Amino acid sequence: MKKIWTITGCVALMAVLISCNKTRRSEGRAYMPDMAYSRAYETYSSTENLKEKGINYTSMPVAGTIARGDAAGYTLKNDSTGYAASAANKNPFSADSIDMKEAERLYLINCGICHGAKLDGNGPLWNGGDGPYPAAPRNLITDPITANMSEGTMFHSVTYGRNSMGSYASQLTTKQRWEVVAYIKSKQGTASAAKPAADTATAAMPKK
Amino acid sequence: MIPCKPIGQRLTLTLLSVFVFSIVYVSAQDVAAGKAIFMGKCASCHNPNMKTAGTGPALGGLEERHKWADHNELLKWINNPAGYMASDPYTQGLLAQYKSMMTGFSDITLKDVGDIVAYINDAAVVKAPPPGSTPEPEKGNSNAIIFGVISLILAIIALILMQVNSNLKKMSDDAEGISRPEQVPFYKNKIYIAMMALIFFAVAGYYFSKAAIGLGRQTNYEPIQPIYYSHKVHAGINQISCLYCHGSAWDSKHAAIPAVNICMNCHKSIGEYVKGPKLYDEGGNEINGTAEIAKLYKAAGFDPTKPNDWDPTKAKPIEWVKIHNLPDHVYFNHSQHIRAGKVQCQSCHGEVTAMDEVKQVSELSMGWCINCHRETKVDFNYSDSSGNKFYSIYEKFHNDIKNHKMDSVTVKDIGGLECQKCHY
Repeated sequence: MKKIWTITGCVALMAVLISCNKTRRSEGRAYMPDMAYSRAYETYSSTENLKEKGINYTSMPVAGTIARGDAAGYTLKNDSTGYAASAANKNPFSADSIDMKEAERLYLINCGICHGAKLDGNGPLWNGGDGPYPAAPRNLITDPITANMSEGTMFHSVTYGRNSMGSYASQLTTKQRWEVVAYIKSKQGTASAAKPAADTATAAMPKK
Repeated sequence: MIPCKPIGQRLTLTLLSVFVFSIVYVSAQDVAAGKAIFMGKCASCHNPNMKTAGTGPALGGLEERHKWADHNELLKWINNPAGYMASDPYTQGLLAQYKSMMTGFSDITLKDVGDIVAYINDAAVVKAPPPGSTPEPEKGNSNAIIFGVISLILAIIALILMQVNSNLKKMSDDAEGISRPEQVPFYKNKIYIAMMALIFFAVAGYYFSKAAIGLGRQTNYEPIQPIYYSHKVHAGINQISCLYCHGSAWDSKHAAIPAVNICMNCHKSIGEYVKGPKLYDEGGNEINGTAEIAKLYKAAGFDPTKPNDWDPTKAKPIEWVKIHNLPDHVYFNHSQHIRAGKVQCQSCHGEVTAMDEVKQVSELSMGWCINCHRETKVDFNYSDSSGNKFYSIYEKFHNDIKNHKMDSVTVKDIGGLECQKCHY
């Protein structure tokens, strides 16, 4: 009888081991830790001892600094006078230096989720009011506010954010922001050339 | 005779039903027309849930505030906010609170105001979520347990049957008078022991070497993150591009974890989780999405009741746990792979758009890298506008393709297996 108990115990142990597929929450061990883990500060390595010194990665850039490869700093302030003054700004990049394909890619990644791939203000986050976003994004083609907005003001809004929209200065460089503005302006240009009197009331509503 | 009601009574009934119907019909139309105007003109600043402030105040119950029960007052305000505000301290207070001037809509009529208010009152009533949208959490573990129990029971039955068999044989031998030598029990039988030892070494060796190879590899690593962030909801259901948050993967070595301000681009306005499917963690516990967003607000130092007072510079970083780790002696560059190599994020990271909690899908071992470099074909065409001009320097390969000596070039052919590519 003892024999049977021993065997049963072994089988039960095997069954328990095999059925053990819990979620893996630990990262495990490495062969040679001194080769696996960097001694230098690597991006996203542990920041525990940096935290003690009050260093973190969400700080704003020091005022007046320009990121390597970026265009010169934008001087207008994020207030109503800056907003009003921005209307006179012109795109400093010439039309030849702007790659519209790249601009479209940037628009679709950063703007299209709200303002829609067709610039109709109906991206997946709004989705005719069924998406999670609680504010209707502007229809960039037909809404008179954006259709008549100067490129300088549009750049100002993308840089600092406007109303519900946040700032895109951390995601897009100065040139990329100008590229996106140029892309929107070129789309508005073709749309107004195609149909001179755009029907704002119907275009603002999602098609259902 | 057909019994019929007096003419007068029938007429009254008909008239009454027409009247009731027309009331219902008219009010329904009002709400629909109001919704159309609201979504077109108001929803940019006023939250359609009518109870959370956006750029402008929440509009639910607006008729109980100020003089708004009088639609003529509302009309004057909507048509010309600046003019109305000049002599009205209440709306001046609103401007001070929300720091954003209401846009005027001079084309709105008194009937439009009635429609909009009808829609606002309709939408402010809390509606129960549609039933039938609560999927059961998946229980991947249960199958393995069932199989384990079944095999255990079968093994016990087999043992009992073997025992019964040997006992019966003994009895029949005794009955027939055949005397056999006492059998050696199997646990003392040397052949059995040798075979068991062999099997034991094979199985143990398999698991031992597997565990040794797995040292330093993190397949299926799925750490608990400080905030339950569902990639399924963000990248799957809401179709946010991977590069919206991890945009540096396009330009640099790292697919950076987004800073709090990128979360707040949307979550400044989205303060509750109501429209998506129910969320569960790996243990099957239900997750309260709104409470998880509150954790983000805490890190960002954002008070949803005073959205305009938010100071992004006071945000604290969220300490996300990095999942995909490479040893320090390996160099890997994201932009090289996704921009030059045109590799999709999902090829290495798996179907992230279907994962609530992200886990590491690929081994990220050297064999895994090398195998992909052997198999992946390079888009070698440099002549058209979409091609990479860099590949024009590989003259020999281009000639070989032209002469049909080779049909395609893999990463291996252009140095993808060189040690120094990744280890230096």
